[in-house]
Amino acid sequence: MAELNQKPLTDVQLKQRKLERKIEMRHHVTSFSLMIFLTFAAFAMVALELDPLIITAAVIVMALVQVILQFYYFMHMKDKGHGFIRLFMLVGMYFAIAFVLCYVLIVWIGLPIGSV
Amino acid sequence: MAEMRYNVPDNQWPDHPERATLEGKNKQLGFWVFLGGETVLFASLFATYLALENSVPSDDHLLTYDLFQLELAFVMTMFLLTSSLTSVYAVYHMRNNNFAKMQIWLIVTVLLGAGFLALEIYEFSHFVELGHTFRSSAFASAFYFLLGTHGFHVAVGLVWITLLILRNARRGLSVYTAAKVNTAALYWHFIDVVWVFIFSIVYLLGVI
Repeated sequence: MAELNQKPLTDVQLKQRKLERKIEMRHHVTSFSLMIFLTFAAFAMVALELDPLIITAAVIVMALVQVILQFYYFMHMKDKGHGFIRLFMLVGMYFAIAFVLCYVLIVWIGLPIGSV
Repeated sequence: MAEMRYNVPDNQWPDHPERATLEGKNKQLGFWVFLGGETVLFASLFATYLALENSVPSDDHLLTYDLFQLELAFVMTMFLLTSSLTSVYAVYHMRNNNFAKMQIWLIVTVLLGAGFLALEIYEFSHFVELGHTFRSSAFASAFYFLLGTHGFHVAVGLVWITLLILRNARRGLSVYTAAKVNTAALYWHFIDVVWVFIFSIVYLLGVI
């Protein structure tokens, strides 16, 4: 019972807490609409056949924004007490980017060793 | 053993039920370590795919712009993105101690995820009919391995959430079951994060 040993909330406190959660939920819905918008924008840019270089940059930036929204809002990484979690994800992301750069440069695009 | 009291009255339900116990806290932290590892797993698959994308030995292979249909990828994205929101609703009701609504939103999440998986299976079988199989080329292997690993994660998530719905159907909510639902929701969001990169990097950048 240790965990539920807190004093029961008064009706006013309970109402306040529900209101706070409702506001948080509204933030979630806002970030969801933003994600949908970014998805639409990304698909539209490709469908409109703009300059490939612009599309590549924009699509990657929009993907990163969507991922940040997911992590910080949907997965609550913005909440307090998530310091270690941020550290884990940053380390994961660091290796992710390092992997992609290394593979792409080594396997195909880079010149064969000794050709220069 | 975590707190096993069910049907706690609203005024005694903690603000963060999923982190109200030591077990819940550890579960959350440990799960994020796992997600950090998953990030690295998917990164190596993405890196392999990007290195081998469209790099086939001869020109009789199907390439990304011969294969991908953006309409299908768009519908799949909407399914998975919406299922991410419905699982947020499930966690919202879990925090509000509303078990019935939480179950309903979890069921909606599973249905949307199943729709996504069905579309992916349809897409793969279509590709195989066209002659783009796992053994066609290193590019095809990298493609199927990346998307297949993601699809496998979706399937695992579906089984996980379905089991939670069934297992909790009779016992309801406690700080013990709340932590379980929260972990499954985190996993589901992570699957969506990976898909965001797949539809951006594999599909969209594959057809331009």
